[in-house]
Amino acid sequence: MKKWWIVTSQTYMRQVKSWSFFLLVLMPFIFLGIGVGIGYLGMNSSTNHDKIAMVSSNEQLRQQYIKQNKDDINGKYKTEASAKKALKHKDISGYILIKTDAKKVSANYYGDQNLSNDVKTNLQLFLGQIQQNNNLQNAQLSPAQTASLATNFSLKEHVQKQKSDDSTIRQISFWILVGMVYMILINYSSITAQEIASEKGTKIMEIIFSSTSAVKYFVGKISGVMLVILTQIAVYIIGGGIALEVAKKIDLTKDFMHDNSHLVNGVVENLFNVNLLFLFLGVVIYTVLSALSGALVAKAEDAPKAAQPAIMLSMLAFFATFPFVADPDVVVVKVLSYVPFFSSYFMPIRVINETVSPVEVVVSLVILLATILLSSYYIGKMYKGLMLQTDDRGFFKALKSGLSYK
Amino acid sequence: MLKVEHVSKQFGDVKALNDVSFSIADGEIMGLIGQNGAGKSTSFHSILNFLKFDGDISWNDAPISEDVFDQIGYLPEERSLMPKLTIEQQIVYLAKLKGKKAKDIKPQIDQWMEKFAVKGKKSDKIKDLSKGNQQKVQLICTLIHRPSLIILDEPFSGLDPVNSDLLKQAVLAEKANGASIIFSSHDMSNVEEVCDSLVMLKTGNVVLSGNLDEVRGQFGKTELFVATDWSIEKLWELPMVNTVEPLRDGRFLLRLDSEQAGPAIFDQLTKGHYIEEFSQRPPTLDEIFRMKVGEK
Repeated sequence: MKKWWIVTSQTYMRQVKSWSFFLLVLMPFIFLGIGVGIGYLGMNSSTNHDKIAMVSSNEQLRQQYIKQNKDDINGKYKTEASAKKALKHKDISGYILIKTDAKKVSANYYGDQNLSNDVKTNLQLFLGQIQQNNNLQNAQLSPAQTASLATNFSLKEHVQKQKSDDSTIRQISFWILVGMVYMILINYSSITAQEIASEKGTKIMEIIFSSTSAVKYFVGKISGVMLVILTQIAVYIIGGGIALEVAKKIDLTKDFMHDNSHLVNGVVENLFNVNLLFLFLGVVIYTVLSALSGALVAKAEDAPKAAQPAIMLSMLAFFATFPFVADPDVVVVKVLSYVPFFSSYFMPIRVINETVSPVEVVVSLVILLATILLSSYYIGKMYKGLMLQTDDRGFFKALKSGLSYK
Repeated sequence: MLKVEHVSKQFGDVKALNDVSFSIADGEIMGLIGQNGAGKSTSFHSILNFLKFDGDISWNDAPISEDVFDQIGYLPEERSLMPKLTIEQQIVYLAKLKGKKAKDIKPQIDQWMEKFAVKGKKSDKIKDLSKGNQQKVQLICTLIHRPSLIILDEPFSGLDPVNSDLLKQAVLAEKANGASIIFSSHDMSNVEEVCDSLVMLKTGNVVLSGNLDEVRGQFGKTELFVATDWSIEKLWELPMVNTVEPLRDGRFLLRLDSEQAGPAIFDQLTKGHYIEEFSQRPPTLDEIFRMKVGEK
């Protein structure tokens, strides 16, 4: 087995088996689940005492109504006396009493609050239907006349795509994307710097470097972290896809998803395209920088300090995007969309706003990828010199010494 | 065979190694001794290519590079393992980096743990082990891939006499398998017991080297242990006696200017006196060390 791959798999397995990774990856889903759960519980608890009973001497009619309105009706109470008692004990918010004779259907509602508009509309439709059937029967019409009267009107909705929707889609897509880049890279910058600094402190590097070359070890380490990042993104893609499908089906969210399908689909399209590649490579280049920073400290306790250059640079790039979110055509955005460390924030602005050609996107990606490969190789070359220093000579002196290591 | 030829290394104004040369044959154990800062660790770091140096170092006539890393077992001076791994994970990971397969190493772990009397199970985490057991696990990591060049930096440091014996047995077993072994130590008794040869360093310079018996022979049988009723003052008056040191058990240690003074002293001491013991020996390695590195 290739030695760099041994380092990669060891780094990967140790990270993904840790509780911190498990929590980090699952946290968004846990919050989503808690949110949906609270919503569901709220809905359920309010439905229980908001439900009303249906009472009628015509059991067939009663069952028909309950079947059509099972979300609103508590079918437990069959008689007026039991419904009255339940209302008194606040087990139901009211009851409907339907009476029928040969000519007329009449309904009375008794309750401690008004009927909701939905229930009232459904009840009116139901009663209208029954009354109409009765009327048609009493009028003794011919089948042709009956069919003619059954003809209904037609209503179709034709909604045009609005420009204001697209702007919202772009805004939401951008904030989700840069938020993800920022959060993920802050996390991995810290993890990488901490891991490398802690190894330096323990001097296990002497054993490692008597077994494999520093370049292979460094590349293996970065590859391991890259696989961890890919795993996290994959979990988000799969989990996000499942969550979307579930949201389209459950009562709590299906109306929202249906009403905002254009917005949701637009945001999803903006996230699951080349921007995902910029997210991934952006996190990787900051991870490489953090690895260098981690190798420059003398002991593990200084690791948070070591992650600072990567975190500060990331913050700078993150906040620098704010003025240009809706203004993707200015020169600053165009230039920074090619500059490594910035391109992962700025190119997505142009991609989301559709103001960049595929060629420009590819050029930016090639520059970013080449920077990652070259910097990894270069840092790998001086990695041994940096990792074998154990005296606390300060950040810049250590860097100078590492750069001069041959 | 490991060959170190004319190796020099400078750190700023400090010359850490100055024209150091030695060699270790297959199946030979060499002790590298010297005070703190004498250049022992720098020598090891040079052999392992951690440092750039002037001179030549070769293993079986080839420069030491990544190609021969799998043949090397190295124990650094400061112990260090990955605390979150289990014993088995740690041993397998480092053995895999030495080109071994996990399926070949795993079945051997129990046997090695038994050999070094490691307390605990192989599923125990490194961080939960005592310092001594961590040290033994690190020794297993150094030896389990059967290296042909073994470099041990202060391997006896922190080990109690029982565990020191276990290590000595392991080192001698590797020697029997044909490995070339070099180790540094502050404890000269360990070097005397285990080593075939030694190199003594003082401020980066080799001040003494060679086969252990030859080295001791260079100093002659200048130590005389006697049990006599002579007073210490009278012993001082004997010819060619440099120092007289009373020992705890009523004996005396006389250091002579020359081995040849022995017979004349024997004649004088036995004239009309009974002597219980008269033993003439070369100085111990510890004494040689003190003489050569300047501790008086």
